[in-house]
Amino acid sequence: MGIMRLGYAHVRVTDMTEAKNHYGSTMGLYETLEDVSPEGNKRTFYKGWDEWDHHSVVLEEGGVGVVKYGWKAQHEADIEAIENKAKTFGLTVERMSAGENPEVGDGIRFTTTSDHVFEVYHSQTAIGTEVGTHNPDPFPRHLVGIGVPALDHSLITCEDPKLMEKLLMDVFDFYPTERIQTSLEDDHELAGTWLTSNNQIHQMAVIGGPQGKLHHFAFRLDDWSQVGHAADLLTMDDVAVDVTPTRHGITRGQTTYFFDPSGNRNEVFGGGYLAFPDRPTNVWTVDQIGKGIFYHSRELNERFTSVLT
Amino acid sequence: MATIIVQPSGAEIFISPDDTVLAGLQKAGYACTVGCRRGGCGICKVDVLEGSFTYNRRVADSVITATERADGTCLSCRAVPDEDLTIQMRDASLRLVNPLLGQLNAKARERARAASTAPEEQ
Repeated sequence: MGIMRLGYAHVRVTDMTEAKNHYGSTMGLYETLEDVSPEGNKRTFYKGWDEWDHHSVVLEEGGVGVVKYGWKAQHEADIEAIENKAKTFGLTVERMSAGENPEVGDGIRFTTTSDHVFEVYHSQTAIGTEVGTHNPDPFPRHLVGIGVPALDHSLITCEDPKLMEKLLMDVFDFYPTERIQTSLEDDHELAGTWLTSNNQIHQMAVIGGPQGKLHHFAFRLDDWSQVGHAADLLTMDDVAVDVTPTRHGITRGQTTYFFDPSGNRNEVFGGGYLAFPDRPTNVWTVDQIGKGIFYHSRELNERFTSVLT
Repeated sequence: MATIIVQPSGAEIFISPDDTVLAGLQKAGYACTVGCRRGGCGICKVDVLEGSFTYNRRVADSVITATERADGTCLSCRAVPDEDLTIQMRDASLRLVNPLLGQLNAKARERARAASTAPEEQ
């Protein structure tokens, strides 16, 4: 099927000690590796309790924002197929060797039209989920903090969302589940797009803004009650909350946004509906953008499109 | 305890030791534009006209450039005054709260301007 999921988000943090307290103790991710990058920066690798691969979040000390994203392909042959599609699209693709990222196999790397670095790989060292596969319980008994099960999706900004949507469709075979358009006419501009390759409502979203920026990366939760519980814990841990629990019109997901100690925006995301390639794409017109993003307040806060790292 | 003079109004506030400029402003009842409040987004910058400050945490070069470190730019959520400060608020009057809609509006204005100045078709 090509790209199965967003495999990892690799982000920069200004202070590793503070960042580890957030991602380890508040989010409840499991640390799987600590090392130093070839450039000499401290790095910490994490996985969620319901993820089986070695890592889904990589923190690298020295700045803020996103370093790169890893995308996991189902078959080894998918890598070459995606490489060919990327070249046809006009991208410069380089080969990535096993070990360039710890515990990640061979793959490819390219910079998108949005100026984000994408890596595509097929193999990553399997650790297994915390509950295992033999008569598994539904969740681990001793979760720490929010205890997020898995990385879910990310939202990035770029100057030309339409071109980035075309890249994700042409190269990754993604399809859009939701769009924000300036009108319903054919000559509309695309202000935002939410895309996926599978039943997950979105794996990557793109809105208009500066090149190469991170809006947020999100962790999966089941439902409202978990989102509310997460928000309680964020306050207990004095995390800077951006948006208290609400629903998105776009995707119907339930959400809370907050900032890590370096100012990178995180989200916990629950619910939403199942995506299918033959489901008609939902279209939001810009006059309804407030309702699309924050369904209850129907108003964008000042920070949503201006606070980026 | 340091004093911050806030321009353009000239309002004077006292700030507790170790409080950041932003915390001082907020504790004194001021509302101003803030973002992540964690030193990552750069939204809360003000200009220091007089006085000096120290950042209480590491601040990324992508948030405060080398030029900004020298020209009085102050990331208010991470800056702790060393002494009395005089600061100038930025964008204090017209606040664009939705830049995305602002960008789309700017493009529409450009298109309308181009259409109005285009030579008439024969």
